[in-house]
Amino acid sequence: MVEETKSESLDGSENSQEAVIKEPVKIQFKIYILIFAIIYYSSWIIPGFILITYFFFIFRKYFLDTSNFVMLFTELYPLLSLILMPLLIIVCYLIHLLLIGLATKLCWSITEKISPSKNGIIPRNIQSKTANYYHMRSFMIKYGKNAFTKGMIPWLSNWFFNFVGASKIGKGSTIEESVGSDKFIDVGKNCYIGVNSTLASHLVQGIFGNISYFEVKLKDNVTLAAMNQIGPGSEIGKDSFLLPLATCLKHSVLKGGKYYVGIPLRKIFTNKIMAYLGLTPEDLERNDSLNEFITKNKKDKIKEKIKEETEEDFTIKQEKEESVDIDCLTKEDLALDFTTSSAISRINVKFLTVYIPIFWLSGFLVSIYLYEYTRDPGFTTILFLPIAIFSMWYIFIFGVLFFSKLLLILVNLIHKPREGIFIAEIGDKDYEFWMLRTELKKISLWLIRNSPFSWIDVIAFKWFGINMDFSSHLNDAWCDAEFVNFGRNNLIGQGATIMSSMVVGKYLIIKRVIFDDYVMVGGHTTIAPGTIMGRDSVIGAISTTIYNQILEPNWIYFGIPGIKLKENKYAEERRDLIMKRDVDQQVKVEMTHEVNIDEDKKKLIKTEKNKV
Amino acid sequence: MSIPNTMRIGPFIPTVLVKKRYLFFYLIIVWFSFIPVFLEFWLYWQFLWNYSRPIHFYTFLPLVILPMYITLVFSAIFIAKILFMAVNIIHKPQVGVFLRHPSDKDYRYWCIRNIIKRWPFWLSHRFPFPFLDNICFKVFGVKTKFSNSLFEGWVDTEFISFGKNVVVGQGAIVQSSVIIGNLLIIKRTIIEDDVRIGSHAIIMPGTYVGKRSVLAANSITTVDQKLEDGYIYVGIPAKKFKRNYFFEDGLQDKIGQVEDVEALRAKYEKIYIKRYDEISHKERKELKKEQKEEEKKGIRLR
Repeated sequence: MVEETKSESLDGSENSQEAVIKEPVKIQFKIYILIFAIIYYSSWIIPGFILITYFFFIFRKYFLDTSNFVMLFTELYPLLSLILMPLLIIVCYLIHLLLIGLATKLCWSITEKISPSKNGIIPRNIQSKTANYYHMRSFMIKYGKNAFTKGMIPWLSNWFFNFVGASKIGKGSTIEESVGSDKFIDVGKNCYIGVNSTLASHLVQGIFGNISYFEVKLKDNVTLAAMNQIGPGSEIGKDSFLLPLATCLKHSVLKGGKYYVGIPLRKIFTNKIMAYLGLTPEDLERNDSLNEFITKNKKDKIKEKIKEETEEDFTIKQEKEESVDIDCLTKEDLALDFTTSSAISRINVKFLTVYIPIFWLSGFLVSIYLYEYTRDPGFTTILFLPIAIFSMWYIFIFGVLFFSKLLLILVNLIHKPREGIFIAEIGDKDYEFWMLRTELKKISLWLIRNSPFSWIDVIAFKWFGINMDFSSHLNDAWCDAEFVNFGRNNLIGQGATIMSSMVVGKYLIIKRVIFDDYVMVGGHTTIAPGTIMGRDSVIGAISTTIYNQILEPNWIYFGIPGIKLKENKYAEERRDLIMKRDVDQQVKVEMTHEVNIDEDKKKLIKTEKNKV
Repeated sequence: MSIPNTMRIGPFIPTVLVKKRYLFFYLIIVWFSFIPVFLEFWLYWQFLWNYSRPIHFYTFLPLVILPMYITLVFSAIFIAKILFMAVNIIHKPQVGVFLRHPSDKDYRYWCIRNIIKRWPFWLSHRFPFPFLDNICFKVFGVKTKFSNSLFEGWVDTEFISFGKNVVVGQGAIVQSSVIIGNLLIIKRTIIEDDVRIGSHAIIMPGTYVGKRSVLAANSITTVDQKLEDGYIYVGIPAKKFKRNYFFEDGLQDKIGQVEDVEALRAKYEKIYIKRYDEISHKERKELKKEQKEEEKKGIRLR
């Protein structure tokens, strides 16, 4: 999660001659894989054991080997083994979730003991123990988070976060699926955090800048409608109601009891609320004095008026459509000064039938593995079960990846992909082949992103011909898998959208997106086709770029559309200062805090006493 | 093309749980939807498991797992639909503004409906192909066509009707119900033909989007807003930006780019709500006056 704020009168008068330290973040793959292995293995071994024993000793004996179909229902044992099987699956799944919680808690508490998580800015350009453990913790929570929130029973995710100790979530609160909101947050009772809302306790500012890591505090009865971004260090008071897309900058303090809207958020008046939400004054009154109405509700329960949904006439009076003369259209009319999306409208079913043989072939590879694996079942078979599940899953994925790549080569031989502006209608060769390519890539990317170890999706992107390596990562973003050039050490924020193609009206626009080294894209940012980002440049959160926009090197861009905000100089700034802002009073207060870094490296950081 | 790995995306079903006992519905649907799958597996086993470890059993296994999964989805849809209909007879789903409190009947039933719908939608979205989602949408009462693409954003599963060729962009949210404060607002959302919703745009309940209009990226509509046919809308809340001429023929060479981004930003600023920081001292004083008056009015109303 990346977010940019307005510059606070920072003049670049101190031009320090000394070179700023620029060490890239060290990613300790070995420890990460170890942690993943512990969580994964321990969570599958017991449920797997129960399921296998049940399958081989009861389900097969009583159910599968009963040769008469009628006897399945008339005899007691076959019927019981059939009916208990789904229940056993549910129970095993619950045990699996419980064990994920236990294993994650174990790893979490060990890292907390070595280096506890505390408020403060973690410098990203200097390697330190705190930064390493911070990264490790954000890695280890991800597997559990995915398993819980994306899984069959998402209602248990609150329990998971509370149990692990990653964050505190009060009773009766609901957190919908989102990219952040997984650690170091404190949510009160009866809150509602809408879909795609991020409670970001951490933001990354610049590849060689800071990681701000401050606890996010939400008091009781706060509702975030949808897609709200809450920056680190924010304190949101009781009964604050945020409308969709309201964004809270870092270190904001909201007193509460009000409605907020906008980027960055501000309070709005009652008139505006009623206009925005289509409410009547009575509704607002009901909202404010909830308790009175509850008692009222109980009294006249019988009196319930059922509102009939009236079929409103939605058609707006339109002027008759005049035929437009193309030559009269001005440059402004046809400029692409807005951004839409690159999602495909039509899905061509007949092409997708190709996927049945692909699935079969890659499934066949898994079958061979399964055949060999179950040759003589014994104790070792069960011991290696989690590893077997993992490898079967990945054999399948890489099988699909391989065969779809073969198909892609064939398709590209028939028609070479090219940039340009084409007509987005069936019949246009470029459009049809663009759809086909997208569909072919989509399924293998979907599979790899939904696998337990989804960080290796870089392999899939590489495989489809995108130039990128493991130093950059984009696993929490929507990204087109063609015509995108990545540099080294790129960081694509969570929930960002990178589009190299866009359909506007009748036209399909394909243009290459280019990222230079050390580029950073903020969370929930939309990158339009043709964008070129220079070295070390940053685009903030919830911004968009427009068609063919060029972002200059070493600058921070922000807004819709993104314009220059300030120079990218995080590594040279004072890091012990933070700016608290009171949204209701519109006051900013400067405060100091302790930089979160190892004791022996504190002298490398510029503070009041210690001027580097 | 590829979706973020920490989110599920697709049809959006809120996870609000008013009472824990509602999970019983969920358990029943999950439990009974598995039974036809095992019967199918039994059939396969009877046909091909002739002697010890036959090779052809393993050969055709991947081909059988696919229909088994589809059977699972359809049986889940079937059971959920029966429960759904039963619940709807007890309490008809209706539009309006309700209280977000367990004492409100509509809020409780909204929650029950979501729990019933969750398992079939979850299953159909776990499948790599998005066709099953469409079937789910149609079964549970969303008017949609197979030419629509609704799988890369969040789309609510009731009180929505779509035209044809609608595209919901990456991370866009199309809502028919929203929780703000202590209120749950449910309203019918209508989206006409050839509409494009940009990435990260939000459509609030009660919105009507006319034919061939566009809601640009990072914009939001208000409740009950009506977007006219053939216009491009931008802003928070959305305002008319310009006519959508991009459906005319022969524009391939004429579609251009913006040279001056700063000027465009200024244009956008007018459309988006003015920022607080940019208001002058005088204007701020006036605003405060208005605010005081409004507070007085508020007191009178009470």
